Amino acid sequence: MNTFLQLVVNGLGKGAVFALLALGFVVIFKATEVVNFAHGSLVLFGGYLVVVTRESLGWVGASLVGILSAALLALAVERLLLARARSADANSLALLTIGLDVIITEEVVRRLGVTLPFLGEAWDAQPIQIGGITLFRTHLVALAVSAVLITAFFLAFRYSDWGVAMRAQAENREAAALMGIRSSRVTATAWLVAGALAGVAVLFIATQDFSGAGLSRGTHSIALAAFPAAILGGLDSTAGAVVGGLVVGLAEALSAQYISFDFSKSAVFLVMLVVLALRPSGLFGTRESTRV
Amino acid sequence: MTSTPTRFAACAALSAALVLSACGTKGGGSGSSGPDAEGVRTGSGVTATDITLGVMTDKTGVFKNLGLGITQGNELWAKDINAAGGVCGRQVRLETVDHGYKADTAKTLYPQIEPKVAGFVQMLGSPVVAALKQNLLSDKAVAAPASWSSELLDNPYVMIVGTTYDVEMIDGLSYLQEKNLIADGDTIGHIYIDGEYGQNGLRGSKHYAGKHNLTVKEVKITSTDTDLTNIVTGLKGDGVKAILLTTSPPQTGSVAAVNKALGLNVPLLGNNPVFDPALLKSPAASALDKLHIVASSVPFSADLPKAKDVAAKYKAAYREPANGGVPYGYAVGEVWGTVLKKACENKDLTRDGIAKALKETTSAGTENLVAALDFSKPGAPATRQVYVAQPDPGAEGGVRYVKPLFEAAEARDYVAPHQK
Repeated sequence: MNTFLQLVVNGLGKGAVFALLALGFVVIFKATEVVNFAHGSLVLFGGYLVVVTRESLGWVGASLVGILSAALLALAVERLLLARARSADANSLALLTIGLDVIITEEVVRRLGVTLPFLGEAWDAQPIQIGGITLFRTHLVALAVSAVLITAFFLAFRYSDWGVAMRAQAENREAAALMGIRSSRVTATAWLVAGALAGVAVLFIATQDFSGAGLSRGTHSIALAAFPAAILGGLDSTAGAVVGGLVVGLAEALSAQYISFDFSKSAVFLVMLVVLALRPSGLFGTRESTRV
Repeated sequence: MTSTPTRFAACAALSAALVLSACGTKGGGSGSSGPDAEGVRTGSGVTATDITLGVMTDKTGVFKNLGLGITQGNELWAKDINAAGGVCGRQVRLETVDHGYKADTAKTLYPQIEPKVAGFVQMLGSPVVAALKQNLLSDKAVAAPASWSSELLDNPYVMIVGTTYDVEMIDGLSYLQEKNLIADGDTIGHIYIDGEYGQNGLRGSKHYAGKHNLTVKEVKITSTDTDLTNIVTGLKGDGVKAILLTTSPPQTGSVAAVNKALGLNVPLLGNNPVFDPALLKSPAASALDKLHIVASSVPFSADLPKAKDVAAKYKAAYREPANGGVPYGYAVGEVWGTVLKKACENKDLTRDGIAKALKETTSAGTENLVAALDFSKPGAPATRQVYVAQPDPGAEGGVRYVKPLFEAAEARDYVAPHQK
């Protein structure tokens, strides 16, 4: 029983970080209908900036620089590349993000060289024991940060001008434009926010508790592993990102023990396929209705 | 707009460059040639002034720190032997390529480096050596793999400096039992990277388990897995008394950290590649006290005259933090030096001559950087002796040995897979 409980705790903890990552995909998709495959490289970029500024600014300052840098890079990508191809369809832009992802990732990995720096020094490898169950501090902080950010998003989507504009744009881009909503501002803000989320997520990913490895190419792979979380939750649903993240974390942890570790890596994709077969828009995604 | 003559000139220059580069591919000259003025026959990678040896290493993959250490050890040896006049009146040169611990990359790089070298002073990684097995056979190129799988010993051109993973595990388990850290009838976990490296380590633990009625809970992983939290959680549920590791250093860090975090705190026993001094600066550092590393080469900081000499030269030449790869890389060079000198005495520095000299080498000495090696028994590890070491942040290279060279009784009667 203890093993089962520990696995659930492990899974939920990892799920919180997957939720943060999935939220990055969702914010951009909701605003622009573009799937941002460069999210993993934004994660790496934010992490790299933490590495290079940590010595001079300290961990807190460097983390803020990392988050801000990832946000600004995302904004630059949107302003300099995507905004100039406004008439291109969403699939073409998604392909563009793949190319960008390769370029940024390879450059960061090259610059990292043989170092594999860990980034979560404020919470990493400081477990808490409660009644025979180990809670990893990285997971706990990630859960708290996710809860705060996701609540903030719910509120922002519902009550802020930007949130209302984004929802309007997601509903009907043309009608939103005719009503005076500035599409470019909504889109740019979405990229900025997604970049910041990537910068936050890397502080939990490049840790002993979460990935067992420092900042490296593996960090990028983990960021992409959150993609199934976003898909199965529903690419345009913030609630879906949270549930998707937790499902991915749990599926991975439980299948590693009760089926096999090998299988656990494909388990999340299997869950995603099952969900998509039953609900093509994901668990909480908006169903597309087409009149024929 | 480019004019036609200019375009023609550009095309001609390009064609000439392609023709020249095609002609230059076999620049080292494969195959054997006639004897030189001293009557020594020469072959690939051997000229009147130089002997070139290949280094196929990992500078960018999961074993990049180990690869860097071994390469630096190779370089220090080459520098020393050249300062002493070289081998057979020739200077030793190294030709290095990075395969990133990827067999497919190594397959692509091999044809580029093979014609230029007499053999390989380093070929890092079991998957790489396995992928190049046929190439080494057909090219008759002697290679010292930085990989210690006894499965490789069916290839007569493979020169494993030290013992093999299976024997390391057997010796290591006997050490744990000698220290009463495990007992007959216990359950132990073995986490291993799927492939020749992991399977060979597992072969050793199964051999020992069979002799001592141990139950082995096997967990197969891949080289890119880094978070092993759920695996250790499962092994805790299985009630293991020790966890064996045939893994990469980041994986070792993960297991050590979770072993401590879950309050499991069982001894960890790893094959020689599982540790990297970088772990001592990772968040897992405080959890490494349970780790025991089994290796047949000395730790960097070993209190032996030759090890101290290598360490001093290393510190004078390099700034990177040292690891156990440095004395090992130097030792491999020493063994290569012994083999090349024998080939020179035989007046045959062709690849055939080098392979023949290897088989005649019954006691390659490295002043105890590794145990004395006997390459004359086909399919058998050249030694069965190991050191046991533990991480120590105070020691240069990050480990100190806790047991000097020894050979367990269970290792002595163990028959390696290709042993005749």
